[in-house]
Amino acid sequence: MANFVALLIAGLATGALYALVAVGFTLLWQTSQTINFAQGEFVMLPAFFMLAAMHAGLPFWAAILVGLALSVAILGFAFKRLLVDPMLRHGVLPLAIATMALSTFLKESVKTFYSAEASPFPSIAPDAYLHLFGLSVSWQNIVVLGVAIAAVVALQFLLQRTRTGRQMQAAAQNPTVARILGVPVERMILYTFLINGALVALASLLISPIYLAKFSNGDTLGLAAFIAAIVGGFNQIRGAIVGGLLLGIVDNLSAAYISTQYRGAIPLCLLIVIILFRPNGLLGRAEERTV
Amino acid sequence: MDTDPIVELENVVAGYGAMTILNGTSFRIARGAITTVIGPNGAGKSTVFKTIFGLLRPRSGSIRVDGRDATKWSQRELLAAGVCYIPQGRNIFPELSVRHNIELGAVAAGPELKDMPARLEAALDRFPALRRKADRQASTLSGGEQKQLEIVRGLLLDPKLILIDEPSIGLSPLMVQETFTLLTQWRDKGASILMIEQNARSALQMSDYGLVLELGQTRMHDKAQAILNDPQVAQLFLGGVIGGAGAV
Repeated sequence: MANFVALLIAGLATGALYALVAVGFTLLWQTSQTINFAQGEFVMLPAFFMLAAMHAGLPFWAAILVGLALSVAILGFAFKRLLVDPMLRHGVLPLAIATMALSTFLKESVKTFYSAEASPFPSIAPDAYLHLFGLSVSWQNIVVLGVAIAAVVALQFLLQRTRTGRQMQAAAQNPTVARILGVPVERMILYTFLINGALVALASLLISPIYLAKFSNGDTLGLAAFIAAIVGGFNQIRGAIVGGLLLGIVDNLSAAYISTQYRGAIPLCLLIVIILFRPNGLLGRAEERTV
Repeated sequence: MDTDPIVELENVVAGYGAMTILNGTSFRIARGAITTVIGPNGAGKSTVFKTIFGLLRPRSGSIRVDGRDATKWSQRELLAAGVCYIPQGRNIFPELSVRHNIELGAVAAGPELKDMPARLEAALDRFPALRRKADRQASTLSGGEQKQLEIVRGLLLDPKLILIDEPSIGLSPLMVQETFTLLTQWRDKGASILMIEQNARSALQMSDYGLVLELGQTRMHDKAQAILNDPQVAQLFLGGVIGGAGAV
């Protein structure tokens, strides 16, 4: 039982990471119909920004800030201006294909210009275990869970409780009407890209100590975020959170109790089952709204 | 026909892609009055509104609002000048609460608007149904309530000019009456209203002026009563019966 609970907590921690990435993914879809197939690489890359900053002599905490800033600037701002804006004029599909190309480009660039080997990455959590009620839980998991929860709560606060957040929601839910009311829709869309840049940097910071920083990290992460978003309903932030957590738990429990060999297959099975019975996802709603 | 119009179009040409809808549209809309635009489908009624509100840029011609050249104004500039646009159909933010939906009507005024809570309360007082559901998601409102929400949201900043497109679609006769009464009250407070209405006869009966648009040009612009009594208009647009009697 203690083992099960420990696995559950580890699963929640993994799931919280998936959720962070899936939330960003969903935000981009909601505000600008961007299906970002490079989202996994977006999580892979900031770790290398941080590593590069450390190589340049910065302490870890400063490297984190530099990585975060570069991520917001490049994966948020530049991504929107240089790729999304020009491609979206041609439609959602050309943009989706362009993000696939971007994913390959980022992966190969890191492999060529940085390293094809996995690089160790420092952790913000102490390398120790917390012993509580006969359970031993790694600090790593606790910190991951804590930071992810804090990020999601902060995001929800921004979206629900601030004027800007509600304008962002308005721009996502009905851009034409938002524009008619004077909401600066373009700026609101840009904000979601900047937020996604911050979310992926955070996810990168939390996940790289576990998986090591490697150019191919985005493969599994991107898929996990995509599945989490679909399982949750694709157009709902809450859905992306639930989908991410569920996926993390299923991932960890199945690795422990079924087989690590099928670890990659089980999330896909989950996806198929959920899509079969709930085509709009767990919390999703139909995209066409009824009156 | 008006020396001090609230909005004035001069030879406006506009359309979508290769299609031209407004073929040199010109008119001057009276200040402090209700003007109803009628005309067959495709005459360019909604297009006129979109063009005035900057959602569609004219290829040529000019638009003046309140005496100033507004041809190239953004939505924010138009809102700042006191113009509001309530488009056809359902235009709510389904997942925001009713209260937050209405609040978004004040976005253009920015955070400096100090009496926002009072305005919101006044708006909710006007429609008890909205007050009851103020904290629920707007998607839970009935079709008529959603339209009411759009109208109070549009009126939140006390607009000088209200462009309202087909307010009565999908409303019960009682709600249509309420909506028309509300618009009349607003006119009496000094606002100018430009309205498109499929229910042309009832709309003209409560209007000061009528404007007949055909193939993107002003065919007739006169006192509403004169439009109602015009035999040709009656035959073409009002179901053939001259005069005011009977609902359509």
